[in-house]
Amino acid sequence: MITKVLIANRGEIALRVARTCRELGIGVVAVHSSEDDGSAVTAVADETVRIGPGPAKRSYLNIPAVVEAALRTGADAVHPGYGFLSEDADFAEVCRDSGLTFIGPDPEVIARLGDKSAARRLMTSVGLPLLPGSVHPLRSVSDARAVADDIGYPVIIKAAVGGGGRGMTVVADPAAFDPAYRRSRATAQALFGDSRVFVERYLPSARHVEVQVLADRYGTVVDLGARDCTVQRRHQKLVEESPAPRLSPELTREITGAAVRGARAAGYTGAGTVEFLVAPDGTFSFMEVNCRIQVEHPVTEMVTGIDLVREQLLVAAGRPLSLDPAGVPARGVAIECRINVEDPDRDFAPTPGLLEEFVPSGGPFVRVDTHGYAGYRVPASYDPLLAKVVVWAPDRDQAVARMDRALAEFRVRGRGMTTTAGFLRRVLRHPDFRAARHDTTLVDRVLAAAGPPSDPPPLHPSPLDPSPLHPSPLDPPRS
Amino acid sequence: MSRTLAEHLELPPAPRRDEPADLGSLLEQVRDSAVRIARDLGHRPDVVRVSAGAVSVEVRWSAAAAPPAAVPVPVAEVVAVPAEVGPVVTAPAVGVFHPAPEPGAAPFVAVGDLVRPGTQVGIVEAMKLMMPVTAEVTGRVAAVLKRDGEPVEYGEPLFTLLPADRAAA
Repeated sequence: MITKVLIANRGEIALRVARTCRELGIGVVAVHSSEDDGSAVTAVADETVRIGPGPAKRSYLNIPAVVEAALRTGADAVHPGYGFLSEDADFAEVCRDSGLTFIGPDPEVIARLGDKSAARRLMTSVGLPLLPGSVHPLRSVSDARAVADDIGYPVIIKAAVGGGGRGMTVVADPAAFDPAYRRSRATAQALFGDSRVFVERYLPSARHVEVQVLADRYGTVVDLGARDCTVQRRHQKLVEESPAPRLSPELTREITGAAVRGARAAGYTGAGTVEFLVAPDGTFSFMEVNCRIQVEHPVTEMVTGIDLVREQLLVAAGRPLSLDPAGVPARGVAIECRINVEDPDRDFAPTPGLLEEFVPSGGPFVRVDTHGYAGYRVPASYDPLLAKVVVWAPDRDQAVARMDRALAEFRVRGRGMTTTAGFLRRVLRHPDFRAARHDTTLVDRVLAAAGPPSDPPPLHPSPLDPSPLHPSPLDPPRS
Repeated sequence: MSRTLAEHLELPPAPRRDEPADLGSLLEQVRDSAVRIARDLGHRPDVVRVSAGAVSVEVRWSAAAAPPAAVPVPVAEVVAVPAEVGPVVTAPAVGVFHPAPEPGAAPFVAVGDLVRPGTQVGIVEAMKLMMPVTAEVTGRVAAVLKRDGEPVEYGEPLFTLLPADRAAA
């Protein structure tokens, strides 16, 4: 039984979780740092607790402070959102030991899947294909170099317990391996407090496809289809969509089936994501499991009509899933664009500041998940995600046109502030994206092709301009 | 308003021997506190008595001028108001406040005690983790704002201090 949830997060996801709690009649406790005094989630919460100063280490990552706040307010469950403590097995365990329901998988499952070497061993044992690489932590630089030589260059060195696209180094040349290996270990230690790394083959041109799964405590595991998250910059996702375009139904079925098999083998419960790389030849490989709600979960919600946070809460409360394991029907196409306060013309430097004007997109089939509002000061201490614009349409062309329209009408103004909205419109207009022929190199190619500042389309084109995206169905047929 | 108030302000009694020699700045602070108290009251008081040594504030006003809400305020709570004036010691974390090293023991500090940067003045407990609360500036404890066992949030004021002359400290 869950009656009051403490949301151990901030920003748009904290607000998004709070909204579903409201709809379920569950009480909401918002915790926040002093930088987030007066943030959007604190306005909708029943209770708020200021748990620390701006630096996340002393607030959103401070386990005693979060648990103390939960116990004091009488919360019976903790929703960790994404990032911060969401995949921290220790946190999940402390919650359990304190009598709090952690909304996510069991700590043992998080620990096993969080160690990427262990996860790779587990997944290969149930037949999931892996990219060639190490499945055991590397003991020395010569050990690691031997693995790299064996699988062939380019290789990627990844932190064993990393996440969020950080702590990865691509090595194209054997001569560069040793220093890159040492640097990766140092970075992994600094970022994640664990210097272990592993090596696998790097695919310079691939698609990133992931599968949303839901699992209850009674052995039912259901997939909610695939998402394509190929549009990335430095391993950070920018655009996501569901279903994965130009992926044959057979391959999609194979990948979703593998995801369900992997989740079941791991003893997964709740909402999780199994990530794969799809090579140009159509072979796919397991990458990792994310033990949390993902940033891009709304695209799955839009095509399935299922509120994933609601399902998370129900599973955590011990309810069996009411979804059909044989297949959850999905309809149409959903696309999400992440609007970051970053300046694409200055190598995506963050541009925090005071939002003097903030008018999110609206209109038919547009959903905007944001914690922004006019007068809100975007703090510099946290990640630059300001809003997620999500659109739905019956087919992909209409969805792309709708997203272009939605991005064009999003108005954000503040001294020194820029967003990635205009840049994302350039990405969407790229012929490779429009044709779904793109791979993980798309963003770099769009950046390289960027001309003078006048080149990108204006943020607010006249509504009377003809849509440049594709011929209108109202045009007379061409002879 | 401050000039009018100053006319009503009775000077603090002579300082104790270990009081800072330079009374000028202390008096200024005390006067500022009094002005703020008066502003918070929302009407002109008849008498404001402030004493710096033993720290007490007394406010008197005529019944006619008193708004309905202005029931006599306990002295301790009036003292709590200038929290925003003098230096305050705030909670270093969310948790439960303890003024003493263990239940039943004497508190780390009492009103009137001199504290220096680093002096432990209390404990904030979160999940059996005891986090020391330390002063960051030199001063004399003016008020203890939280009781033993009271929950506090990060940054909440726990003590107010009267600034002490650094040379004397």
